[in-house]
Amino acid sequence: MKAHQANRFASILLWIGAVAILALLVAFLALILGRGLPYLTAEFFSGSDGVRGQLFNSFYILFLSLIFSLPIGLGAGIYMAEYAPQNRFTDLIRLSTESLASVPSIVFGLFGMIVFVNMFGLGFTILGGSATLALLNLPILVRVTEESLRAVPRSYREASLALGATMWQTLRKVILPTALPGLITGITLVAGRALGETAILIFTAGMNVSRILFDVNPLAAGETLAVHLFAVKSNPLPGTNSDQIADGTAALLILMVIVFNLCLSIPSRWLQYRLQGKNRG
Amino acid sequence: MPTRQKFDHELEDLRLKILTLGKMAEQQIALAVNSLMNQDLELANSIVVKDLELNDLRADIEETCILLIATQQPFARDLRKLVAGFKISIYLERMGDLAVDLAKVSIRIGQEKLIKPLVDIPRMSGIVQEMIRIGLKAYVDEDCGAAAEMSLMDDEIDKIYSGVFGELKSIMMENPNNVTQANYLLFASRFLERLGDYCTNIAEEIVYICNGKRMDLNE
Amino acid sequence: MDKIVVKELDLFYGEQQALNSINIAMKERSVTALIGPSGCGKSTFLRTLNRMQDLTPGVKIIGQVKIDGQDIYAADTDVVLLRKKVGMVFQHPNPFPKSVFENVAYGPRIHGETDKKKLSEIVETSLKDAALWNEVKDRLHESALGLSGGQQQRLCIARLLAVGPEILLMDEPTSALDPISTMKIEELIAELKDKYTIIIVTHNMHQASRVSDRTAFFLSGDLIEEDITSVLFTRPAKKKTEDYISGRFG
Ligand SMILES: Nc1ncnc2c1ncn2[C@@H]1O[C@H](COP(=O)(O)OP(=O)(O)OP(=O)(O)O)[C@@H](O)[C@H]1O
Ligand SMILES: [Mg+2]
Repeated sequence: MKAHQANRFASILLWIGAVAILALLVAFLALILGRGLPYLTAEFFSGSDGVRGQLFNSFYILFLSLIFSLPIGLGAGIYMAEYAPQNRFTDLIRLSTESLASVPSIVFGLFGMIVFVNMFGLGFTILGGSATLALLNLPILVRVTEESLRAVPRSYREASLALGATMWQTLRKVILPTALPGLITGITLVAGRALGETAILIFTAGMNVSRILFDVNPLAAGETLAVHLFAVKSNPLPGTNSDQIADGTAALLILMVIVFNLCLSIPSRWLQYRLQGKNRG
Repeated sequence: MPTRQKFDHELEDLRLKILTLGKMAEQQIALAVNSLMNQDLELANSIVVKDLELNDLRADIEETCILLIATQQPFARDLRKLVAGFKISIYLERMGDLAVDLAKVSIRIGQEKLIKPLVDIPRMSGIVQEMIRIGLKAYVDEDCGAAAEMSLMDDEIDKIYSGVFGELKSIMMENPNNVTQANYLLFASRFLERLGDYCTNIAEEIVYICNGKRMDLNE
Repeated sequence: MDKIVVKELDLFYGEQQALNSINIAMKERSVTALIGPSGCGKSTFLRTLNRMQDLTPGVKIIGQVKIDGQDIYAADTDVVLLRKKVGMVFQHPNPFPKSVFENVAYGPRIHGETDKKKLSEIVETSLKDAALWNEVKDRLHESALGLSGGQQQRLCIARLLAVGPEILLMDEPTSALDPISTMKIEELIAELKDKYTIIIVTHNMHQASRVSDRTAFFLSGDLIEEDITSVLFTRPAKKKTEDYISGRFG
């Protein structure tokens, strides 16, 4: 086949792939939102079985898990990218993070249950849930950080160091700001995953909501939206319209993730645009 | 792997052109002196015409040098070869002009009886021709020793010239009727003396090609 | 007076020797050009002068590099101060993805200047010294990555001048630029020469012959010949130099 024909063929194939993805996404959104949106009433949030507690818990647990995982994850990633020498030991660390990243989340859930719920005797708590979630996030954060930092051109480092900056100044003033869009994308991915995570939280944060509204006590039980969806679907309470609740919850979950992603990625785009200059779009 | 073959060919072409110009100049001088000795007016006229060819060739060489300097951006020896070659071609063309001047002397004298047998003029011319031949060979071989030696021959010409000068001066004082022709002959020997100086200049350029040093060989 | 004196300098990348006992001195307020074929060690040598080689793992350096009489490889050398004094311009323009102003203000800021007015002054003078002020004075707060390649390179020079160096190392500063930008940088070098000691690596021998006072020819890690530029380019002493500059290599 002529190169030119191959080229056409490949472009068509790739185009079909892209369109298929888009179609899938639209169908998916249409279905979930179509079924669930009608139920998203005030009653749905604050009624007797309202999900506002779960909604709050979702974000609270996410927030806490990021508090736990970000400093360690970023720190380790920065260390791996900038300071660590290339040797067997760092290769081992890299291998370990990669293996950890591919561990199924249910295994983390069980691990969290053994350690936090049983060994530390916390019971099902927001704290235990977020700590376990942090463990799940950690390896990905390390990798994302390391990769975003490595993507910063070497020439920026050289320029900065050649001006007499220290490694730390270079990191703070040049490398991190330049890597920020990449980091934000990474964090968005991690956070999105955490928002939808169920397996871990069932075992660690439990399937109950605190009776106090917006309870910030980390030792309270903390059912999240995703877990709620699972609970409602798998174990419908008699006398409730569990299908409606499930549909509504699913739609809410989707909206939440979309809004959350936009909130992070729009400023990140803007930042990238500012950094790269108007001519580069 | 040899690099810059094209440039090397062009330098070789340039050298051949300069060599041709040199041989033409030498021949013009020889013929001019012959026309003077034999009072051959036809020959003298042909020399004046032939000089146009020398001028053209010199212009061609100049063009080549400028083009090579602009396009090849030479350094070191290449640069020296081009600059020196350019100057040598100018000296050779001037030597051609002096040959024309010599021919014009023989035209002026015409068939008038010579006031003295010409001995020193052919001697000077012989030395000049020898200097040109050695110079051209030294140029081809880039042999600065030979060039420097050649320049020493100019001393002999200068010596003959001052002898001729005294002799013609006394002829003029003896018989005022001879003043005109004696003057012409004085010019002729003066032209030959100048030719010797140009040969020395050429020798200087050859030395410059060899080692990049500027040397005054006229002293 | 000699600003830089290098004595018996050897450099190894692991086992491989990249510089063989280099001896050279550079005068204050002069321009020295380093020429030689690719891989002969010009950049390697340049990067020993501000200790940028420290960043390359596995480099071993033997010998002496003295700047203003101080051995820069002595144990008590403050590398930050050294690099402040010996600035570097790279082959490819590498402004930070920040505004024009922030690029130039970067150096003074990291060296502790916080006064806004002072910073503006430094930025302005540095940009003027780098012959860029007129072109960017209305877009100081736009991203530097929006400038043309030649402007970016002059911005890098301005960024360097802002920290007040004494020596400027330039590694093929115009190799990525068009002829006009190249000429602007060359003219700039001629002006900067009054204040700075400049060492420039270049593959363009006409550039070397135009901008420098002295030229050093490197070949496979050896310094073959070093002389007044006009002498080196018209009558080099060594056959190897002659072959290289007249393009008849190998
Ligand atoms: N970080 C490194 N590790 C190992 N070897 C290196 C390293 N940097 C350079 N070298 C080697 O050292 C030698 C000199 O390299 P250098 O970059 O100094 O050459 P150069 O003269 O600047 O060449 P160019 O004109 O292509 O920039 C080369 O053989 C190169 O392969
Ligand atoms: Mg280099």
